[in-house]
Amino acid sequence: MIEVIDVERRFVQGRGRRARVVQAVAGARFVAADGCITGLLGSNGAGKTTTLRMVASLLTPDAGRVLVDGIDATRQPAASLARLGVLSDARGLYPRLSARENIVYYARLHGLDDRAAAQRTEVLAEALDMRALLDRRTEGFSQGERMKTALARCLVHDPPNIVLDEPTNGLDVKATRSLREALRRLRDEQGKCIVFSTHVMQEVERLCDHVVVMAQGRTVAAGSVAALCERGGSSDFEQAFVSLAFGADGAHP
Amino acid sequence: MKGAWVVFRKELLDALRDRRTLLVVLLSSVAMGPLVLVLLSGLVAGVERRADARVLLVQGIEHAPSLRNYLERQTYAVKPAPADFEHRLEASQLSDPVVVIGPDFETEIAAARAPLVEVLSSSANPAAQSGLGRVMSLLRGYNQEQAMLRLVVRGVSPALLEVVQLQERDLAEPAARGAQLTALVPFFVLMAVLYGALNAALDTTAGERERGSLEPLLMNPISRPALVLGKWAAVAAVGMLIAVLSCLSFLPGQWLLRSESLAAMFSFGPREAALFIALLLPLAGALSGLLMAVAIRCRSVKEAQANATVVVLAVSLLPLVTIFNQDGEAAWHLWVPALAQMTLMGRVLKGGALGALDLALPLLLCLLLAAASMAYVARTLRHRATQ
Repeated sequence: MIEVIDVERRFVQGRGRRARVVQAVAGARFVAADGCITGLLGSNGAGKTTTLRMVASLLTPDAGRVLVDGIDATRQPAASLARLGVLSDARGLYPRLSARENIVYYARLHGLDDRAAAQRTEVLAEALDMRALLDRRTEGFSQGERMKTALARCLVHDPPNIVLDEPTNGLDVKATRSLREALRRLRDEQGKCIVFSTHVMQEVERLCDHVVVMAQGRTVAAGSVAALCERGGSSDFEQAFVSLAFGADGAHP
Repeated sequence: MKGAWVVFRKELLDALRDRRTLLVVLLSSVAMGPLVLVLLSGLVAGVERRADARVLLVQGIEHAPSLRNYLERQTYAVKPAPADFEHRLEASQLSDPVVVIGPDFETEIAAARAPLVEVLSSSANPAAQSGLGRVMSLLRGYNQEQAMLRLVVRGVSPALLEVVQLQERDLAEPAARGAQLTALVPFFVLMAVLYGALNAALDTTAGERERGSLEPLLMNPISRPALVLGKWAAVAAVGMLIAVLSCLSFLPGQWLLRSESLAAMFSFGPREAALFIALLLPLAGALSGLLMAVAIRCRSVKEAQANATVVVLAVSLLPLVTIFNQDGEAAWHLWVPALAQMTLMGRVLKGGALGALDLALPLLLCLLLAAASMAYVARTLRHRATQ
């Protein structure tokens, strides 16, 4: 379970007199339950990535708290990261290493021994249908192959909580479908807590049990797709999202 | 600590997989030293050979038997000049000046008229020019001998013409000039270490940022000091490997020395190799740290390369201090990393002694520099990952 409690974060851009303060997150709050896929929905610049980076202990919140299975992500980053698998916005692999070596490296960083690392790699390769990729160098991988490797890498320590930042970016239909399938299986078979950020409505409609709508660094609405449609006053989810995200501030596009 | 070991193993594997870069570095750094040594020995051997040869190129020697007699008494071998010597002297293809004697040489001498003897050289041809002085003084010797004979015939003491006795003595060994160039050897191994560490250092920092693999890496439960320590150890290991290889490459390189006097002056045995390595290993560590600290600020490897130029430039310019500084070795030289190693390696080559302090002070400074760099990288790492 991941709890984000009234988290705030601002950045200072530039230096001296030209410095400009950007309030990236100004009060995000949501709870992502176990056995449930939570969608973090927002337009570009709504603060999704910054929020997820705070969940992953990569940034320290200015205010508020992030709890991963009850562990404070700021005070005990190592313990919270051990219970977290993060597929971040940046999905760089090591091009001179094979997919297997990339995955085993992360397993070893999570403290798995060689045998456990090898075994987990096999299990994930089977689950993600990437056995043929394992011993190839990642140098010439396609976007879909990269995503699979990165996903296997972040799941290698079998974390109870999974965070994915815009995972379908740059993926074709087939790869998107296979990712969706994999996430459903993780939820249904293993009861994982999955948080999934995106700006694509269909993704959320197809996959998410619970949706958190973010706009201008704030959580503006939360609930199931049906509940949000009702609140937004439209049967079309996209229209409902627009009125929830922008309508409240009067900034209609 | 276990985390640092995991990072070290992966980074080392990654660096060693970069075969093409590694091969270029190995070839240029490890082969460069012996190659320079061989070229140097060729140069010195050439100088020695010409000094020993005592050959004079003359055109028209058949017209001057008395000159030939004089030259042969000075143990010079007289050889006829090649046909197109003027052209070849101009084109720097002939490395000795040519003496040209006219057909009327002996008859003019007999008639007490001074015949013209020309010495041809070209100031654009340094090799021939360097032999010019030798030829001129040789011919002046002939002039003087003939003049003395004439005076003696007329009953005048030759001592009248010689107010003081002049004699030239060259103290320099022919190989001494060339041997000064062995001072370049420490410079080459120093640059080898720097270039050995450069690519790995840039790849584990700026390269990691450029690929977008730093952010996911930091989401692993490993402390930042352990991560930086592992990365630094891998980079330093590559730098140290190059250092050891390039030092050892001078051992067989020495067998290729053609000049005996150079071989005597450039004595590089196992002891010297061991001392070189002892001096270079800490430096490899310090430079690895420094390069990583410079590169972690950069978003791409390209940007990092531009910034690392400052370090490369500093390390390659520092040794010049020892050349420009006429006072020789100053105490502060040992306080500057790279310059200290240069100075001490030079001392090792000259067969000088190294005290415990000479080894300990640079070692300590290198450790401090490496530690400071790593602390900086660890502090900067997280901040930079999200930019």
